[in-house]
Amino acid sequence: MKNLNTLLMAALLGLALFAGAASAQTAEEIMKQSHLAYYYAGDDGVAEVGMRLIKGDKERNREFTMLRLDNAEGGAQKYYTYFKKPSDVSRLTFMVHKNPEDNDKRWIYIPAVDLVKPISADDKNSSFVGSDFTYEDVSGRHWSEDTHTLKEDATLDSSAVWVIESIPKEKYKGFARKVSYVDKASSLPLKEEYFDKKDKMVRIFTAERTEEVDGIMTVTLRSMENLKKKTKTFVDFSRIKYNQGLTDDLFTERYLKNPPRQFVK
Amino acid sequence: MNKLTYIMLGLLLLAAAPLSAQVSFDGFLQGLYGGRLDQNNPTETEYTASETRMQLRAEHFGESAEFFGRLDFVYDGALDSEYDWELREGYMKFRLGNNFDLKIGRQILTWGTGDLIFINDMFAKDYRSFFVGRDDQYLKAPQNALRVEWYNSLGNLSVVWSPRFEPNRLPDGRRLSYYTPFGPFGTMLNEPMIVGTGTGHSYYFDPPTPESKFKNSEIALRFNRSIAGYNTSLYFYHGFYKNPMGAEQVGVMVWPAQPSPVYSPVYPRLNVYGASLRGMPFGGVLWLEGGYLDSRDDPDGDNPMMPNSSVTGMIGFERQIATNLTANVQWQADYMMDYGLFSARQQPGVFIRDEVRHLVTSRITKLLLDENLNLSGFVFYSPTDEDSYIRYSASYKYTDEITLTAGGNVFTGKHPNTEFGQFRHNDNVYAKMTYGF
Repeated sequence: MKNLNTLLMAALLGLALFAGAASAQTAEEIMKQSHLAYYYAGDDGVAEVGMRLIKGDKERNREFTMLRLDNAEGGAQKYYTYFKKPSDVSRLTFMVHKNPEDNDKRWIYIPAVDLVKPISADDKNSSFVGSDFTYEDVSGRHWSEDTHTLKEDATLDSSAVWVIESIPKEKYKGFARKVSYVDKASSLPLKEEYFDKKDKMVRIFTAERTEEVDGIMTVTLRSMENLKKKTKTFVDFSRIKYNQGLTDDLFTERYLKNPPRQFVK
Repeated sequence: MNKLTYIMLGLLLLAAAPLSAQVSFDGFLQGLYGGRLDQNNPTETEYTASETRMQLRAEHFGESAEFFGRLDFVYDGALDSEYDWELREGYMKFRLGNNFDLKIGRQILTWGTGDLIFINDMFAKDYRSFFVGRDDQYLKAPQNALRVEWYNSLGNLSVVWSPRFEPNRLPDGRRLSYYTPFGPFGTMLNEPMIVGTGTGHSYYFDPPTPESKFKNSEIALRFNRSIAGYNTSLYFYHGFYKNPMGAEQVGVMVWPAQPSPVYSPVYPRLNVYGASLRGMPFGGVLWLEGGYLDSRDDPDGDNPMMPNSSVTGMIGFERQIATNLTANVQWQADYMMDYGLFSARQQPGVFIRDEVRHLVTSRITKLLLDENLNLSGFVFYSPTDEDSYIRYSASYKYTDEITLTAGGNVFTGKHPNTEFGQFRHNDNVYAKMTYGF
């Protein structure tokens, strides 16, 4: 009888260990799926983007066209941004070659002086155009850089979600801990809470509006609230098109200086 | 009604026409006010700037061709009140086949790797604007040009042909003083000195440009390709020194005593052969650029009225050193050829530059308040010329439309005839307000 008990205990322990491993596997798998759904939708994408930067009763606006090309699913990507507003940055173009294994490469073209300038870009946590989104929020942090744990299954605004906690494997400036609410149906992140070293919540990402575009579920209105600075940024995507047949040569100096007018109006 | 009024009316009509559905307009309105800090500056005004400027931009594009215009209207009250306008850009751009891009018309052109150091960029600069606080875009003066870019499997070849030589716009003595080796009426009767129109209008500086002839046109070439992640370029320029660095005798003045030769400044003929490299190692941006300036009017360095040939090179590195804080440093060395011949013929008592002129620069930019406040400083320092130039500014984006800027320019120099030393009386501060629409 004692033997049987020991056996049972061992079996239960084994099962628990197995379940734990499976949950870790699942959590990382969920975050990978979520990353691909959010950052790698289609093979490429074109969209008009409007940003509202809100601080107290003051609001600033940005308008730009964004092109994205995936070179490898979950891997290298290229981004092209053509600014329309405000007036002082109109016609300015900006290009990023993202490589998850290395620093991003960034270039800016200032048409008023016909100047192409590479930008030193080792700080992924600096703000994107003064908003509450960082460069890394725009292009994504690779899922393998954090350890993910499935905390619970829950419901967020009537959507079934996985609640996943992510902790950076190496010391990281961006956050000490992140809690993501990943939609079970679409794998899209519906909400993310960022915590600092003192485990104080400092930023909240919210998928404000999700729509199906060309058969792909897409977050078309997103927001980031900075609780420390009491600022909030809304990003509105419109005229989204996927799989437009974008090619690598669009993401070169030639097009940085001469915007591809079939996509950039 | 004058010409300007017609243009304004025309533009208004254009904006109102149904065509405006396809032509987009934007621009800015700007007030710039600046004053000198040195009361000994021999200029005739205490204002380095007192102007209201409106820039209108118009754009139209189809799938394969586009038009862009940038027109400035200025009311300038620093000296006599005057209205002025300039077509800063007015070009059409189109694609020939898959591999050729053409840009024709009045345009701003830039290439090369330096930060405010230009070796192979022989396109016109406007230092009159640069030194008084106008926006960075005004450092570049427009050129009338045809630019062809050919993209092929080896790389990208750019050819820029400017039918008429376009010189740099240099301080002319009205608001900014400068150094001249010439005395009154182009003689060399007086000691070389720093002059301005406050000491007599004869110092107003307006050197004659090369004749309007096909053989005097400018050609600039660049071949560019990427090698192992580095952007590498070869350059060639055929034209003239952009500053009037030479002189020629144009006559003789017999009054008041013995006959004295009369000189006129000239733009000596020049070829430049160069190369550059730029990449992103060590978490920053690194650049190297060099050039050989072949002074075609003085190949052996024995003509005292013409500049000697030189070999010049620079290295620079930029990186982000903290959040929203970026810094760079550059070092340039300029080696004058046939230096012995040059130094032997200099007038006594005048500072003679070293055989190798060194220049060190640094730019620091800090962004604050959600990137709405930009603090910037740029220092040029030459240990061999013993002179320096410091630019500083604070610019605040109050709203998306309104930007407030304050800044200044400081020149120091031990000698009156060095690149920055000659401007040592021109220290100034300015305030600027811009409304973008």
